[in-house]
Amino acid sequence: MKHSDVLVIIPCYNEEANIQRVVQRLMDTCPDVDYLVVNDCSTDRSEEILRKNHFNHVTLPVNLGIGGGVQTGYRYARDNGYKIAVQMDGDGQHSPEYLEKVIAPVRSGELDQCIGSRFLEKEGFQSSPLRRFGIQFLSALIRLLSGVKVYDVTSGFRATGPELTAFFADNYAADYPEPEAILAATLSGFKVGEAPVIMQERLGGVSSIRSFKSAYYMIKVSLSLIINRLSIHKKGGFRA
Amino acid sequence: MSPVNQFVFILIGLCILLCILGLLKKGVLSVKYSLLWLLCGCGLLLVAVFPYIVYVIRDLFDMVMPSNVVFMIMFGFVLLLLLSHSVAVTELSHKSKRQTQSIALLEKRVRDLEQQLQNQTDKK
Repeated sequence: MKHSDVLVIIPCYNEEANIQRVVQRLMDTCPDVDYLVVNDCSTDRSEEILRKNHFNHVTLPVNLGIGGGVQTGYRYARDNGYKIAVQMDGDGQHSPEYLEKVIAPVRSGELDQCIGSRFLEKEGFQSSPLRRFGIQFLSALIRLLSGVKVYDVTSGFRATGPELTAFFADNYAADYPEPEAILAATLSGFKVGEAPVIMQERLGGVSSIRSFKSAYYMIKVSLSLIINRLSIHKKGGFRA
Repeated sequence: MSPVNQFVFILIGLCILLCILGLLKKGVLSVKYSLLWLLCGCGLLLVAVFPYIVYVIRDLFDMVMPSNVVFMIMFGFVLLLLLSHSVAVTELSHKSKRQTQSIALLEKRVRDLEQQLQNQTDKK
């Protein structure tokens, strides 16, 4: 049932308020791409909605968190031979109108991963000042560790090429994976860049980065970034 | 250390070793995770049989009480065991993650195939 070479992966955890609108909007805006909703063992009516609407979805039997969920999508993309896998949040923050824009650099082979960034043109929803500060800090840390400047490191709107998709299918961080994925990809020799997009505030429900306010998130991500950098000898030369 | 003391300690050491071997025999404990425990039991027995070892270590580390040497070594063992458990848990959670993903992907394939089959029978 593969129609296109682009797969949009939509992680979904307790998104009963949004998921139908998000998928519908994607199908209306970009009818020529395939999508896969990854239902991360939601405890609300998400599964029911997905089944009732015959949305293309997988349901994890136990909750794995955003990283494990998205990785399921990457595995699906790899196993079904998709050229480009795009991650898009299930909460309506990411507009499918920008899908082509995010895909373009990956399709042209310019980048292995292209991240939809809300900070390049500073338009639309910009998040709270505290979160922005956190993102800037992580962005600086990633630059320090890998030399690559990415502004919107926590953006979950990102397209990946076939080789990186296969890489992510086997190696993907578990808990707060967005910043770590950038570093892991860069250190393994993949090219990561950004494309400007405009994001919206989520339609309903709660973000996966609820604990972002707490220092715990920052410490954990920073630590895993540094550890990741230290283990470069093992990972380096993946593409050599 | 009085002979009674020593006898009790040897008994305890033997009990621990027997417990571990018993668990191994029953297959409740895997050999992989039992190595550290066996080492711990053997160490305990060794010290019980030759208490002189403790005095030597005490002098080496310039400690006052021989009992502190025993506590230190025990605590070190406990830390090591806990760490090895964390490693084991990490490994298991990684494996269960892969399995969960595979189950989900397979479940989807089954669902899709069922749907296809349904459509075919409907056409007939």
